[in-house]
Amino acid sequence: MADRVLSDSQTMVEAHGDFLYRFALVRVRNPDVAEDLVQDTFLAALQGSHYGTGPMAERGWMIGIIKHKIIDYFRRTKREPIHNPVQPDGQTADEEFLADGHWNAEGVAMQGWPDGLLERRQFWDALALCLEKLPPRTAQVFTLREMDGVETEKICELLNVTPVNLGVILHRARKQLRDCLSRRYFGHAQEGVQ
Amino acid sequence: MMPWLSRLLPTCRDMSRLLSDAMDRDLPFRMRARMRLHLLTCVLCERYKDQLHLIREALRKDDAGMEDKGSAKKPCLSAEAKERIQRALDSHRR
Repeated sequence: MADRVLSDSQTMVEAHGDFLYRFALVRVRNPDVAEDLVQDTFLAALQGSHYGTGPMAERGWMIGIIKHKIIDYFRRTKREPIHNPVQPDGQTADEEFLADGHWNAEGVAMQGWPDGLLERRQFWDALALCLEKLPPRTAQVFTLREMDGVETEKICELLNVTPVNLGVILHRARKQLRDCLSRRYFGHAQEGVQ
Repeated sequence: MMPWLSRLLPTCRDMSRLLSDAMDRDLPFRMRARMRLHLLTCVLCERYKDQLHLIREALRKDDAGMEDKGSAKKPCLSAEAKERIQRALDSHRR
């Protein structure tokens, strides 16, 4: 029985390899590291008992493993502290505010989003593209917090960020992602309006 | 909004930061109350808040951006990478 399951390592790579690779890549932002993490995850999976319990259970179980591997990777890698988080895309965060601190309602990014966005393929494409635009360190912080729900204290420790800088990074990342998604939706044609 | 009241409340610029902070930690009661008052009269901040929460909801789906929900080509393991992994798995099994 065990032999039959173990001989399935090729099936495992085919069934989960690309998924886990994307899962790791969006978080660590380094293709070689992502590949290693996938391999480590499979090695751990082959030693565990869940393998062979069906594709859905396997998937959820492997996600649990790779999340731990990713945290371990961050813990192992010594990181320069982020002293002065730079503006991610070179544009000032203030463009969308008027002098009195109100939103500039004319901005493309201020448009309302349609209902049922999560059902739309276009939204998921845009989300993937906008995530890729986050600078690597920002993406690491942001994905740990927003995708994996890791507490802020733990992120500070893992990635060597002060709590104040973490707040700034998360705020800017959220705003950049919101603005990017809005622009993708409402097009470049209206970009000149601002 | 009455000018004297809006002077006491956070501006939209302040709110964009505060709404983000509120997603990571509990803000003091008085600050939450001031934010609520601002949100009562500010449709753009209410919208911003909803958008941030929708992005979080999307990203917290375990397969966010990983499955082929969209139509764009997603990054994949190369054939060589799959072979490398395969070899590593096989050598560990022995």
